[in-house]
Amino acid sequence: MRFGRYSLLIAVLLTSLLLLTVQTRGVGPTRAGDLVALALTPVQNLLTKVHRGALSVWTAYADWKAVRAENLSLHAENERLRIEALQARETDQENRRLRRLATLRERLPLTTLGGEIIGREGGGWARSLTVNRGRADGVAQQMPVIVPDGLVGRVVQVRAGASVVQLLTDPTSTVGAVVQRTRTAGLVEGEPGGGLRFKFMARDGAGVAAGDLIVTSGLGTLFPKGIPVGRVTAIEDKGSALFHFAVLVPAVDFARVEEVLLLTGQASHDVASLFTPDG
Amino acid sequence: MRLSLLLMTFGGTLAQSSVVPSLAVVGVTPDLPLILTALLALRRGPEAACLVGFALGLLQDAAGGGLIGVQAATLALTGFAMGLLPGRIWVDHPLVQVPGLVLLTVAEGLLRFGLLQLFHFPAALGDLLMHVILPQALYNGFLASAFLLAVEAAHALRRWQPWI
Repeated sequence: MRFGRYSLLIAVLLTSLLLLTVQTRGVGPTRAGDLVALALTPVQNLLTKVHRGALSVWTAYADWKAVRAENLSLHAENERLRIEALQARETDQENRRLRRLATLRERLPLTTLGGEIIGREGGGWARSLTVNRGRADGVAQQMPVIVPDGLVGRVVQVRAGASVVQLLTDPTSTVGAVVQRTRTAGLVEGEPGGGLRFKFMARDGAGVAAGDLIVTSGLGTLFPKGIPVGRVTAIEDKGSALFHFAVLVPAVDFARVEEVLLLTGQASHDVASLFTPDG
Repeated sequence: MRLSLLLMTFGGTLAQSSVVPSLAVVGVTPDLPLILTALLALRRGPEAACLVGFALGLLQDAAGGGLIGVQAATLALTGFAMGLLPGRIWVDHPLVQVPGLVLLTVAEGLLRFGLLQLFHFPAALGDLLMHVILPQALYNGFLASAFLLAVEAAHALRRWQPWI
């Protein structure tokens, strides 16, 4: 058995040496070398082909891995940049809103209190916003609430740290108003559908047209004069009725209100000029 | 068994010429045929290692374009010698296997150099040791350590979760 082992080793070594010898010796070796080449060239060719194939597969795999890793990294970067862009846009919009609010606050000839919206009620029965200012901040019932676009509503409930603001569109809300151009007086009421209408407009108050701006009349002691309420979109003429009314689109987009000013003081003169469309 | 040896021979040759070059570190690549021959020697004994080493070496020589028979002889001899060790010294422990592979690589390199000297190989031994044999031996040792760690981790995982 042991002899068999060593004879295998010796045979293998001798074969190797023979191969080496026939390659390097010059005597009759060309033929021997040719024989070696003849036997090994097909194997070499095959190996080269397989090697090239394997190499190309390996390279393709490596490339694919690199591309995949790059793709994942680009995806992550894209996602991060998108979030950053959204955050920047959000901050930009907030800055713009706050700047408009601050400008209005500076111009207004009455004391105000800034607040943030922390809750919304949008059902048909009641339409309100909750502001993060309450009794502790000096908020009182019936306080008018505005934004740079116009009137939002009035405070109807005051709690310790928050207040509920009834929106103009609430069905129980009424505000004394006038048509800015014709000074036609009336009442702005909320509708269950979420719209506004300008009521009790006497028939002889004609001349009101679509596009007219309705502002607070300032006749009561509640709202200062001249705060934009809405704009006329249509006149509903009931024919024989004594009064007819105008359909309004609110000056304020209540769904987008995020910061408000609560008017803690009163002003006797018209503030309409302070409410420009760009704040 | 014969098929697995054949696959090992051709797979090892292909891997050495395709995958291994991409593992080069500062121009040094591991010697996969030698590692395969050594592993085979430990598992299957001197005859199988001698034959597979011879075949692997022959194919390496043929693919490399050098003198055909040099690696065939050295790998056959190395595989045979390695195959005789398990009965004589304790080679089951990684602390023996890894340095053993490093020494084996150096020994095979010296053997190859000696054989090539018979055919007037021009390079100096010092240069070869510094730039080829020792770096490759260290790389082989590193690769063997990684392989043994992976095997150990797989065994541990299997013990922990037997269904794997």
